[in-house]
Amino acid sequence: MDFPRKVAVAALSASALALTAACGSGATGSGGDVTIGLAVSTLNNPYFVELKQGAEEAAAELGVKLTVVDAQNDATNQVNQVQTFATQGLKAIIINPVDSKQATPAAKAAENAGIPLVAVDRSVDEGKVVSEVASDNVQGGSLAAIELGRATSGEVVHLQGIPGASASRDRGRGFEQGLNSGGIKVVASQPADFDRAKGLDVMTNLLQANASIKGVFADNDEMALGAIKALGDKAGTQVQVVGFDGTPDGLKAVEDGTMTATIAQQPKVLGRKAVEQAVKAAKGEAVQQVVDVEVKVVTKKNLAEFKK
Amino acid sequence: MAELLRATGVTKRFTGALALDGVDFDVRSGEVHVLLGENGAGKSTLVKVLAGVHRPDSGEVVLADGVRLAVIYQELTLVPELSVAENLFLGRPPRRFGVVDQARMRRDAVALLDRVGLAVDPRTKLKHLGIAQQQMVEIARALDQDAGVLVLDEPTAVLTDTETDRLLEIMAELRDQGVGLVFITHHLDEIRRIADRSTVLRDGRSVGVLPRGASVEEMIELMVGRSISEQYPRHRQDPGEVLLKIDGLTRNGVFQDVSIEVRAGEVVGVAGLVGAGRTEVVRAAFGADRYDSGHVEVGGKRLAGGDVQAAVRAGLGLVPEDRKGQGLVLTSSVGENLGLVTLGSATRFGVVDRGGQREKAAGMASALRVKTSGLGQEVRELSGGNQQKVVIGKWLLADPKVLVLDEPTRGVDVGAKVEIYELVNRMTAAGRAVLLVSSDLPEVIGMSDRIVVMAHGRVAGELPAVGTTQDQVMALAVQEIPA
Amino acid sequence: MTTSINARKVLSDNGALGGLLVLVVALSVLAPSFLSTQNLLNVGVQAAVVAVLAFGSTFVIVSGGIDLSVGSVAALSAMVGAWSSTEAGLPGPLALLLGLATGVVAGLVNGALVSYGRLPAFIATLAMLSVARGLTLVVSQGTPLATPDVVSELGSNLTPFLPVPLLVMLVFFGLTAFVLTRTYQGRAMYVIGGNEEAARLSGIDVRKQKLVIYALSGLFAAVAGMLLAGRLASAGPQAAVGYELDAIAAVVIGGASLSGGVGRASGTLIGALVLAVLRNGLNQLQVSPFWQQVVIGVVIALAVLLDTLRRRSTR
Repeated sequence: MDFPRKVAVAALSASALALTAACGSGATGSGGDVTIGLAVSTLNNPYFVELKQGAEEAAAELGVKLTVVDAQNDATNQVNQVQTFATQGLKAIIINPVDSKQATPAAKAAENAGIPLVAVDRSVDEGKVVSEVASDNVQGGSLAAIELGRATSGEVVHLQGIPGASASRDRGRGFEQGLNSGGIKVVASQPADFDRAKGLDVMTNLLQANASIKGVFADNDEMALGAIKALGDKAGTQVQVVGFDGTPDGLKAVEDGTMTATIAQQPKVLGRKAVEQAVKAAKGEAVQQVVDVEVKVVTKKNLAEFKK
Repeated sequence: MAELLRATGVTKRFTGALALDGVDFDVRSGEVHVLLGENGAGKSTLVKVLAGVHRPDSGEVVLADGVRLAVIYQELTLVPELSVAENLFLGRPPRRFGVVDQARMRRDAVALLDRVGLAVDPRTKLKHLGIAQQQMVEIARALDQDAGVLVLDEPTAVLTDTETDRLLEIMAELRDQGVGLVFITHHLDEIRRIADRSTVLRDGRSVGVLPRGASVEEMIELMVGRSISEQYPRHRQDPGEVLLKIDGLTRNGVFQDVSIEVRAGEVVGVAGLVGAGRTEVVRAAFGADRYDSGHVEVGGKRLAGGDVQAAVRAGLGLVPEDRKGQGLVLTSSVGENLGLVTLGSATRFGVVDRGGQREKAAGMASALRVKTSGLGQEVRELSGGNQQKVVIGKWLLADPKVLVLDEPTRGVDVGAKVEIYELVNRMTAAGRAVLLVSSDLPEVIGMSDRIVVMAHGRVAGELPAVGTTQDQVMALAVQEIPA
Repeated sequence: MTTSINARKVLSDNGALGGLLVLVVALSVLAPSFLSTQNLLNVGVQAAVVAVLAFGSTFVIVSGGIDLSVGSVAALSAMVGAWSSTEAGLPGPLALLLGLATGVVAGLVNGALVSYGRLPAFIATLAMLSVARGLTLVVSQGTPLATPDVVSELGSNLTPFLPVPLLVMLVFFGLTAFVLTRTYQGRAMYVIGGNEEAARLSGIDVRKQKLVIYALSGLFAAVAGMLLAGRLASAGPQAAVGYELDAIAAVVIGGASLSGGVGRASGTLIGALVLAVLRNGLNQLQVSPFWQQVVIGVVIALAVLLDTLRRRSTR
């Protein structure tokens, strides 16, 4: 009676294993005896996919093996993943923290195993990090405010990311700091969770309450693109929209003139530099403690530099 | 005898329907006062008013000074995983320095259990006790809280005959100790054995108080409001062709080689002890459960095993033993429940003919005299007998060749029972057939044409119904069959 | 006289409607721009995606199951639609059909796991939640894809006062009400949810019905996914994350019972509107982002609590 069931279970687990193996080989770079781990916060976002691609390119060039894991934006998950890395005899670990504050146990795990840790894109609040590769979110926020103040004046709204997330905090803080320089005034700040659909809904609602809005700053391009949808013809003409990240869709909107500017981070460069630092640390060479990757204001004028 | 409780002119309404209408009721010290009535007559509502669960719309309930009232419901309120002693002192164990005083709890428990004549170790887990013993624990718990009035709501429904005898003895002892008992039961013979007085409720009204020694006929007449000439009004006729043939049906370890034939116009009774495999056989024949060998034919056509739809299409119907668990959709209305089986045949191009379904349901509800405020009433609000009529009604609407009734009158009151028997007669008169599984021996003998007796998963023998005694059936039911 | 009785009957039949009216009245007073025609149309449009998801979930919940995968299936269906047109070059309408078929297939897999595999619905659809989201990422390679024109049309306006998402929502509302009240499948959902064993013993093919129920849920999720993608003219890999919980909340606010057998299309529509009105109002009132989730949670609990109390009082 039980036999077919056992066979089924066995077949299932075998196929699951095969699947895992197939996926695993996809995520792993080629060759070399030096293996580096990269713990990404999420691959559910084009920005981090690019970061991963940059890292993979650098690893291939430098001839090291790169193992990538995705925490799916779950900080606990990420701690587990780094702890697993620490037991696998990796030569260096790159962490792209889900949350700066919650990455401390992960840093501890690497430190205890004596493996050098490189932080990329976001910092690790407490714990030993040999190198921090990041673009400055606060500075980016300030640049956005300055650019928006240059393009328009009057009432503007701020579309925030997930409440409490570090990118929301830093970009928002920078944006407020940059406000002094122009003639713009924030009349509403509402969260749209970094999500395009929510950006559309929230912007639509804010327009109802504030018909005279002249500008929008969104904490990322996705929300900015949603806001542009909500604004329709007004986007780029009566209302200036500034986004953040410089994703392909964001750059296209800048090209079309619906988005005034976006603050381009260079995720590929971030990934690349992080791998370079990690390889140095793995080989015992000197590393740069802070690597600043420039954020740049992208407008129609300098767009060509960023289009790939 | 001191009066412990008096209710005067109690009236209670639920969403328009009058549940109790000016009922007077009293309990004296040292008596057993029976509360008698059909399902839906208002007994449960009255008990809840007495216990303070419901507040009466008018009228009042007065308890004598210092008298407490406890109700033992059919569903016990004990914790199976705790010991007998812990259950007895649930929520108020004897404590010393804030710690439960185990030794004292056990001593007190033994004394209490002694009052209800239960000789078990108080450390036994409750779940290891039989249902009758658990009931005694519940009664003992009520006594410890110095209940002056003890209400027992159908306690014997779940008990065997010996257990019932024991309960009645305990009740008599408690009466002698001065406790006032209110006793609800459907078994009229128990009333004749223990009642000092019986108040009869009908349609929410108190229609009379019978003294000790009232006859069963008197009780029924007051309850039903008319005299019932015959308890088992079976009209027998000459059987026709074979409609249902169960041939050598076997499910390993459950039933073996069971063969039963049912002919048009016939009622075949299936008797046997609990666990003899009767329900299992009819469920398997209907396709509700699997079987290992043998086969089933309806109207000459062989049925695929384990396929309820095929059985229904061929003209077989089953009124299951567990009415609420398997027969009714309690969240749905009376009308929808009546239309369950005919839902498919009333569908054209995926759309249900709702008007037609409603019309047929309304016709059936009035033909069966289902007591309801309308087809839209939720079926859960009906009394047990009326619920059973709905389950039978849904099958009658589909007009099956053979209807299997599994314990159709369990928990059903006298009046509704006779109405269900009349339905059986109507089916056989129309050339259909009925397979009647029942543990109620007088019913099987009274309503069947032939009786198949099962024991240990096998057919132990077959008897003609006319002229057979209960003893003859029992003799077959308890016989040992070599495996 | 008769109108007041009718109004009372409608209100007592639909507890959530009372809650919705209270919300609307309160917001009209607090936010002057709330009651404008344009804003009310906006609310309708914003409710559409969750409403269509929730209509599909109503079938599942009425039949005593649960479908946690609808958000992921919506995203996957939209992504398959966008991919087949943008990357594979299929004509738009064909891509749309392919996307809808994806939803149906995902639903059928759910249904097969639940009815033939005897998995608890919670587990089967939880697995699908993960699988469908993962496949969305595989198909999209993590980046948003543009949708074909026929899908983008779903996000546009037919006339200035008739946004397509609103129209789609109303059409699917009518469809859901029709299925639930008039069709064999719909009536079977109530029977199965009310008492699965009674349904089986009454000759209803419970397993086949469940397959149909989950397939319907998958199809509705796919439609919702197309609506969402249409509004943005792009299908995102992270679209509709967490929408399954909004859908379930809408169904429950609408008076359905998670234990099955009870629920109505009108209730679900009201539930979805309650959520949309609330989010719209919170934006207009500029409630602090940290408090918004608290308010939404409290309103969900209150709405269901009110409904429960109302039922108990009429017992």
